[in-house]
Amino acid sequence: MINTIFWFVPFTSIVALLFARFFYNQMMKTSEGTDRMVTIASHVRKGAMAYLKQQYKVVGIFFIIMTIVFSIMAYGFNLQNPWVPFAFLTGGFFSGLAGFFGMKTATYASARTANAARTSLNTALQIAFRSGAVMGLVVVGLGLLDISIWFVALNYFYPIGANNGNNIIIITTTMLTFGMGASAQALFARVGGGIYTKAADVGGDLVGKVEAGIPEDDPRNPATIADNVGDNVGDVAGMGADLYESYAGSILATSALGAAAFAGMPELQFKAVIAPMLIAAVGIILSILGVFMVRTKEGATQKDLLNALGRGINFSSALIIVFSLAILLLLNVKNPYGIWGAIVVGLITGIVIGKATEYYTSSSYKPTQKIAESTSTGPATVIISGLGTGMISTTVPVIAVVTGIVLSFLFASGFNFSQMGMGLYGIGIAAVGMLSTLGLTLATDAYGPIADNAGGNAEMSELGEEVRKRTDALDSLGNTTAATGKGFAIGSAALTALALLASYVEELKIGLIRLGQTVLDLGNGVSVETSTASLTEFMKYYDVTLMNPKVLVGMLIGSMMSFLFCGLTMNAVGRAAGKMVDEVRRQFRIIPGIMEGKAEPDYAQCVAISTKGAQHEMLIPASIAIIVPILVGLLLGVPAVIGLMVGALVAGFVLAVFMANSGGAWDNAKKYVEEGHLGGKGSKAHKAAIIGDTVGDPFKDTSGPSLNILIKLMSMVAIVMAGLTVAYSVI
Amino acid sequence: MKRYLYLSLTPEALIASMLPPEDFGKYLAVGTKKRTRGQAIFFEINPNFESNYFNLDDIEKRCIPNKDGSPKRSKYLAIYRVLEHVPLNTINNLYLVTDDGRVLEIKKKEYTATEEDGELHLYQQLAPVNPIVVSKLNPIKFCKYLTATEHPVSVPKIAFFELILNGLADDPQNAPLNNLPYSNVDHLRDCLIGLKEKESKPNKTVIRKTNADVMFRTVKNGLFVGDNKQTLYFPLPDKSELEGKYYAWWKSALTQGFNY
Repeated sequence: MINTIFWFVPFTSIVALLFARFFYNQMMKTSEGTDRMVTIASHVRKGAMAYLKQQYKVVGIFFIIMTIVFSIMAYGFNLQNPWVPFAFLTGGFFSGLAGFFGMKTATYASARTANAARTSLNTALQIAFRSGAVMGLVVVGLGLLDISIWFVALNYFYPIGANNGNNIIIITTTMLTFGMGASAQALFARVGGGIYTKAADVGGDLVGKVEAGIPEDDPRNPATIADNVGDNVGDVAGMGADLYESYAGSILATSALGAAAFAGMPELQFKAVIAPMLIAAVGIILSILGVFMVRTKEGATQKDLLNALGRGINFSSALIIVFSLAILLLLNVKNPYGIWGAIVVGLITGIVIGKATEYYTSSSYKPTQKIAESTSTGPATVIISGLGTGMISTTVPVIAVVTGIVLSFLFASGFNFSQMGMGLYGIGIAAVGMLSTLGLTLATDAYGPIADNAGGNAEMSELGEEVRKRTDALDSLGNTTAATGKGFAIGSAALTALALLASYVEELKIGLIRLGQTVLDLGNGVSVETSTASLTEFMKYYDVTLMNPKVLVGMLIGSMMSFLFCGLTMNAVGRAAGKMVDEVRRQFRIIPGIMEGKAEPDYAQCVAISTKGAQHEMLIPASIAIIVPILVGLLLGVPAVIGLMVGALVAGFVLAVFMANSGGAWDNAKKYVEEGHLGGKGSKAHKAAIIGDTVGDPFKDTSGPSLNILIKLMSMVAIVMAGLTVAYSVI
Repeated sequence: MKRYLYLSLTPEALIASMLPPEDFGKYLAVGTKKRTRGQAIFFEINPNFESNYFNLDDIEKRCIPNKDGSPKRSKYLAIYRVLEHVPLNTINNLYLVTDDGRVLEIKKKEYTATEEDGELHLYQQLAPVNPIVVSKLNPIKFCKYLTATEHPVSVPKIAFFELILNGLADDPQNAPLNNLPYSNVDHLRDCLIGLKEKESKPNKTVIRKTNADVMFRTVKNGLFVGDNKQTLYFPLPDKSELEGKYYAWWKSALTQGFNY
């Protein structure tokens, strides 16, 4: 039994994909510009596609192995739902597809944006932004489409009305598995892309800028094209896969919590399950309308441009508040105003985190200016003040998330802490609210690298000053809007991870029932039926208390994982950048005429080195994220896995904020000096600022953004492997 | 093949070459093996000038193509007291070459003083000596002062840049140091204050000898070369031209000083 209103979900997903196609076609109709511009864009496109092809090969092998493992678990040992291997595969496939479409669009759009900037700022903005919107709409369209397909297909095999309402729990927890596929794909994309982009950037800069003394984006630098490719594979494809996972993950986790919270009340259960999907569906329509509202006038100032983007985002955010209430009232869910309150809390939390991010990373405010001032005493003080500021910057986001968690829980539970299920559902739906207009907010994120690449193309093509000013204005705008996007991504990741924690318990329930354990012995002669046991009863059954050393051990391992992962990815950037340095030096040495501009460097070789380095280096960090939760489960059991998830969430969230903000602040401190403060370009302060920025590069573009996925992937792996854990844990 | 004559200022040398100015500039900056790089500042000289000091008679015999037929890149004719022996009327265009080989050609122009009374100046001398000096004199007067033989410290000819001081030019005591990438700017401020306080003193040395490249972005107006009778002025294009027409050179000039 699927209510008619549910069909609005797949309908809007198709609408999103159609509009994505429309915006893509519109962009493709515009000219790519001069022969030189076309050649550069073609180099970047080829490099990006070569990277993605190689990445998908490696990830494909991983997915095949994991699918075989899941099939053996499901069909050989009955430890999993038989649909898990397929759901896992589609999650990975759609996530990869979102990244692929986003990147393909971006690589076609950058030269077109640069070309449009030759005549009009508004046209350039439209091309860049609508190309970013292709990515946004593809992510949300594919996300909801995948969710819809699985919901309908699983409903066919497990009719929602049957089995005392347990089928909908089976459906929603099975669908979570597709979240693991998406998370795994996202982690590979983020880590691989992050290593690639920083290896090319740092490696290229070290030789090009420092040793050969040639400016950034200079066509004589063999790593220039790889650097531009890196913007696409890291910031576009990586981010697309990442946010696909966040988007789908938040909806799936909330649906699973909704199914659990209303167990035994089929009608309310169904409404709670489809409510997050419907809110996301309405968010798609509002995002599309928002895209059309982004336009500006010729000769627009930076403020005008910011207002143009703000108009679209504010419009869709304001309306999602109104429409989500309408949906909840229309569905007649339990405590609609409370759940709506949770959604509003989620949106406010995202905005607060975004504003805090902007405050700590923008050169318009004191913290970044202070870092810039520390450049006058050398690189060591720059590093110290950047680290200090990054650490302090975690305060507001943590307090915002803490407040968000408490308020969304209280609102949704009707201010009754005993209503654990409803409260957790509120936390999940707060994350859904945050990401509901992702189609638009992601457009503002994906637009950044397109504008950045457009600037690179304009530089290399030696277009006029006016063109560069326009592309610079667009690029600078992208940096500002990205702060808000990051706030929503980080905030939703924390809330979703918390929701996944509750979903894990639901998966345990199913795993135990599958193994035939229908009753939980809680001690002292008390026992409850597994199928109706509450979260608190499960915690009691597994002795999940802080006095249980297994929980503490899990928490410590979870915390350590965040640091281990960051350390591995940062060292990976260092090694891959080292290989790039060797290659750029080699080319300067053996190709006569590069510096005189008489011979073209071998760009493809640098692209190949970055690709190979990234693929090689991403395997260990990505693999440990998958292996550790399985091992902890098998060796130490459920309490340790819950501890692991908590430890990873707590440490990972704070570390992610710290790294992203430190890196952002160092970057902007350098720009602040380059604007003419503290001696400006070429001064000792500038050199110190460059060192800070170089240190911050892997912070903000490799390790930091990957942590969000790490947290959720470990939770997803724990959820998917719950059956294995309950069946075979050693202690 | 045509032969050119160049007067290099950093270091001071008279060089014959078969390379036209742009290629010669690139060659000086980045060489042919890609293992070197360095800023270059030179003039193209009228190749037919006559000199008793330099041996210019057999340039055609000494500056010949390489064995593989490629043009001779450089034949050094003199490296000592070169500037003073090159007549000003033989100097053609100036070429400023960034350390990665971007070349900017500058034609000479009449200098019109625009400074107000009491304004201070900062000069980086290139040849024959290379201190950095603050002065109350405008460039023309500064050139005359340093080439006046009645002064105990003087040179026959001199080449120098005037560099930006921003607000320090008028108010060395209080003006901010923003956008001045000089090392030890506090010392510079002290020198300016000291100079302003001593009415009788026209100049004060900030750094006795500088080994650093000229940071082109700090050039206030241009390069001056002259003796006691005449000063030639080679103005840097204005900011809008640099950011537009000469962007490749300007962008390169802006990245100077990145080496650690």
